[in-house]
Amino acid sequence: METGGPSGDAAVAWQRAATARERAARAEVLAAQQEALAQQDPSSVHAKIAANHRRSANCHRSSAELQEAYARRLTALRQPHEPLPLFMGVVADACGTNSAALTLIGSDHSQLAVAASDEGARAAQDLEFVLGEGPSTDAAARRSRVSAVGTAIERRWPCYGPAVAALGVGEVIAVPLETADGCLGSLAVFDPRPGTATAAVFADVTEALVRTVLLGPDADPELYGDTDHRDTVHQAAGMLSVQEHCAVGDALSMLKARAYAEGVPVDEMARRIVHREYRLA
Amino acid sequence: MTTPAQKIADVFVQLSGGSAGTPLQAPELLTTLVRCGPQLLGVHAVGTVVALDDRTEPQIAGSEDSAQELKREGLRWCEGPGTDTRRSGRPLPCTAFDSEAAMRRWPRYAPRALELGYTRVAAYPLRTRERPVGALVLLSSAEDTPMSEEAGTLAQSLADFTALALIREHELQKSRTLSGQLEHALVSRVIIEQAKGVLANSLDLSMDGAFALLRGHARTHRRRLTDVAHDVVEGRLKLGLDD
Repeated sequence: METGGPSGDAAVAWQRAATARERAARAEVLAAQQEALAQQDPSSVHAKIAANHRRSANCHRSSAELQEAYARRLTALRQPHEPLPLFMGVVADACGTNSAALTLIGSDHSQLAVAASDEGARAAQDLEFVLGEGPSTDAAARRSRVSAVGTAIERRWPCYGPAVAALGVGEVIAVPLETADGCLGSLAVFDPRPGTATAAVFADVTEALVRTVLLGPDADPELYGDTDHRDTVHQAAGMLSVQEHCAVGDALSMLKARAYAEGVPVDEMARRIVHREYRLA
Repeated sequence: MTTPAQKIADVFVQLSGGSAGTPLQAPELLTTLVRCGPQLLGVHAVGTVVALDDRTEPQIAGSEDSAQELKREGLRWCEGPGTDTRRSGRPLPCTAFDSEAAMRRWPRYAPRALELGYTRVAAYPLRTRERPVGALVLLSSAEDTPMSEEAGTLAQSLADFTALALIREHELQKSRTLSGQLEHALVSRVIIEQAKGVLANSLDLSMDGAFALLRGHARTHRRRLTDVAHDVVEGRLKLGLDD
């Protein structure tokens, strides 16, 4: 996007927020109209239409709040060389935590892209990528909310559980990013503030993410710069497949296993392979 | 009009996709609406015209051939009760085709309707959240008894219900397309990176060099980059430095 630095980015974010506010207001007017009609005739279709408008209004309002929070952080930037705030940071904030991770998952259940609000969320996400089990995977596969606290985390995921607990995670909640007839992936939050991570908050935030941030006419699936496609990991898997004379999928598994065994982040292991500093054999 | 409540309920169930509850696609939905319309509303024939957005062609349906024919001509002439109602979003009260008002408003449509044996018309908008997307047109012949107020209310709620179902189906389609596109883009990216790795290792290239080779091959062979990358990753295509 040609925006001319943080102030340009902030202006765009304020604009997106204003558009979302307008959409929310429009949906609210329509909902009120239909609710009035429904009161006159409760058996009619109006109640159903009204509920649809209400849901839409909530989703747009939630989008507006995310965009406004993001715009405020962009506006607060003083120096042009300061790192840009993460959009995932405001998503985490809206869910009552500092640590949130979004994972886009393919129909074959593979991780296709990731975005995290902080180091902790990113580390947890990497563990899930390397070990192939965890809350984001489960929430997307089962299309339902997954949550675990304390030792339940270790019991539920035999490999991921102890590893994520070792990172200091005491609670995890993951919700699917559902579309009308499918699922794009999931949103996981780690250690939410007690009581803030209510079901209603998640429903509004995830619906706003799906309907306006990831899909839709004004969508940016790159999450305004946060999305990581793990390019280096896939390049390294391609190189390994030649070195080991195996399928690229097997090469990817070998890479993950080696990274885990050596206690090296998978991105770092991939970087070494791509820069020919490391060979598996 | 004395349609039993059960019959009315059955029609709403059919419009919502039957007991399975799977949303009907637009053509089936309109066919169901016009098929059930005449008996339910006590009119001779029913026609409908729908345009969900500016990009798609308006769709029509009629409970009998002449009603369908009339809808098609109305669309071609941009004239008639369906067109008016679809634009205004307001119901059109029962109007006789041989009245002066009808003849003036629909100079081609009204005579054609009379020719086909229809004497009176009423129309109800298919309304959705932001705008009307179509119209339900009720056509009566000379033998039909005048339409009751009750039938008008029922016609409007049928129209509203249909509009809601149409929009839901339309949004489902749109969302399916968008999420399909997103997944395709993400999967393509993974495969292209993997192919770059394969080429970088086999031909001792940098990642940029490997990408240039992939892109060059795709261009000269007029193939999609993703397809070429796929073949490279699967080992079906061996590229050399002179490719």
